[in-house]
Amino acid sequence: MQQILYLVQKEFRQIFRDRFMVGFLFIVPIIQIFVLGNAVTTNVVNVKVVMHDADRTPMSRDLIGRFTHSRYFRVVAVEDDYTALTRILDRGDASLALVIPRHFQRDAVNRDRPAVQLLVDALDGNSSGIALGYVSEIVQRYQADAVLRDPALAAPMAGTHRAELEPRYWYNPELESKVYIIPGIMAILLVIVTIFLTSMGIVREKEIGTLEQLMVTPIRSYQLIVGKIIPFAALGFVEMILVMGFVYLIFGIGITGSIPLLFAEAMLFIFTTLGLGILISTIAETQQQALFIGWFFMIFAMLLSGFFIPIANMPPSIQAITYANPVRYFLIVLREIYLKGTGLSDLIPETLSMAVISLTVFTAAVLRFRSTLR
Amino acid sequence: MTPEFAVSARELRRNFGAFTAVDGISFDVRHGEIFGFLGANGAGKTTAIRMLCGLLPPTSGSATVAGYDIGRQVHQVKGAIGYMSQRFSLYDDISVGENIEFYGGVYGLSRAAIAAKSKSLLADLGLSDQRHLLTKSLPLGWKQRLALGTALLHEPSIIFLDEPTGGVDPISRRRFWRIIYELAEKGTTVFVTTHYMDEAEYCNRISIMHQGAIVALGSPTALKQEYGLGTVQDVFVHLITGTTDR
Repeated sequence: MQQILYLVQKEFRQIFRDRFMVGFLFIVPIIQIFVLGNAVTTNVVNVKVVMHDADRTPMSRDLIGRFTHSRYFRVVAVEDDYTALTRILDRGDASLALVIPRHFQRDAVNRDRPAVQLLVDALDGNSSGIALGYVSEIVQRYQADAVLRDPALAAPMAGTHRAELEPRYWYNPELESKVYIIPGIMAILLVIVTIFLTSMGIVREKEIGTLEQLMVTPIRSYQLIVGKIIPFAALGFVEMILVMGFVYLIFGIGITGSIPLLFAEAMLFIFTTLGLGILISTIAETQQQALFIGWFFMIFAMLLSGFFIPIANMPPSIQAITYANPVRYFLIVLREIYLKGTGLSDLIPETLSMAVISLTVFTAAVLRFRSTLR
Repeated sequence: MTPEFAVSARELRRNFGAFTAVDGISFDVRHGEIFGFLGANGAGKTTAIRMLCGLLPPTSGSATVAGYDIGRQVHQVKGAIGYMSQRFSLYDDISVGENIEFYGGVYGLSRAAIAAKSKSLLADLGLSDQRHLLTKSLPLGWKQRLALGTALLHEPSIIFLDEPTGGVDPISRRRFWRIIYELAEKGTTVFVTTHYMDEAEYCNRISIMHQGAIVALGSPTALKQEYGLGTVQDVFVHLITGTTDR
């Protein structure tokens, strides 16, 4: 026990004497939250639209006006030359082109299925899909208003939408991606602090020879592991608390669910990443190697977690891999507890999965650590 | 019950794949003796010392250190010995005093014992005023003596020194050897590997390793007489190359 305390004390002394490290641990989370929270956004706003109005009627101008006034769109130009539209899209000056053909108003009045054309730059499929949604929303609203003004129009349009969807977005009513992204940032930070600091901390001792020195002392390998884990686990929790605080101060997003539950789940998660850190340290001979292996794991863990790409969009073989990814479950748990206030009883599959993964990884790590050090 | 020998090796062997690093060596080290372990680079000295310190399991053979079996009683062996390698293994980024405190704690010393030991060690080294300095700012010679001091905090009966004086100036080396003599006088067994043949002359007995085997073992005087050569260096060169360096 005493040996472990001395190990922990030494570890903290090394960390806090390192100015760079302290800066890294405390400033990085602020920057990440601020930048990523604002930048990694799936909200599509200010989509640049170019308009081509061949009709030039009150009705066509009304439709254009609805785009001008929407906060999702910015009308960059009203282009008279239809052929110029392609060039504008090619140059990237606009990502949408809305074409109102001649006789739009006439067709509408004559109940002859009025049509508009939409050209979409779909290079970024996600954003263009979302933008498309906004467009159809505007067009539907436009239709509905047209019917209100002229009930006669209702008859031909009755076929086109009999039922109307009126979604209510729960837990994130504004569909703010910040709310969704911030728990993800927490997970990343925990991964960084635990995987990287643990593996590099142990490998550094290998490099300078202190690990060998420790191995000739009567210290047990479990004491060494516990002595290494406690400081980094503690730092991980400090980071988490910091992030929670910053998120509240900067974005006003507080935790809805139980804090003890959140920490217990985080503890479960951290065991996996600490285990991975130890595992990496038994493979890597230099800190550089540890860093590379750590990155390799981290990229996979993040990309296959559902943080950037929804898991449902992945091919089945890749989806199968994500079941082994603890970040996948931790993200769900974080979001559920943080945003919905979900209790443990509804998080049992995720919790169990994390427990199984933790136990496996940690056991493997400890066994390997013991055998490489004897 | 004191064991007969401080270190006793019987047919100790270590293979790395097809390569035999230590080829069944046997020797005894008496209590309180300064035992020199000589050999060219790659002769198997470090492998042998790592086995004796419990860092590496032997492929076959056996050895006892301070009466404990290095195979079955590794933990007891580790508690009974001190070890200092060329890399001297202090933490550069914590202070001199913190290094002493840390190693004292790891060896299970009480806080009071650590404080007392730390004070006397710092005084011996003349580092009392420097104890708050980061260890990396110490000159190499001081670092080595500090490393030796930390390896002796728990008063081991045997100290293993693996090329302890590599890369330091002659004055520092002489100071270091003065400490080794003092230790031996107080009854500590010193097991030391070295490249410096003048240091070999200071040992009570030396063994010379070549290609994993011990090719000579005895006091420097006896070995010089046996081969009719004037210095340990000549004996060493004669044994390793089969020629006389003259």
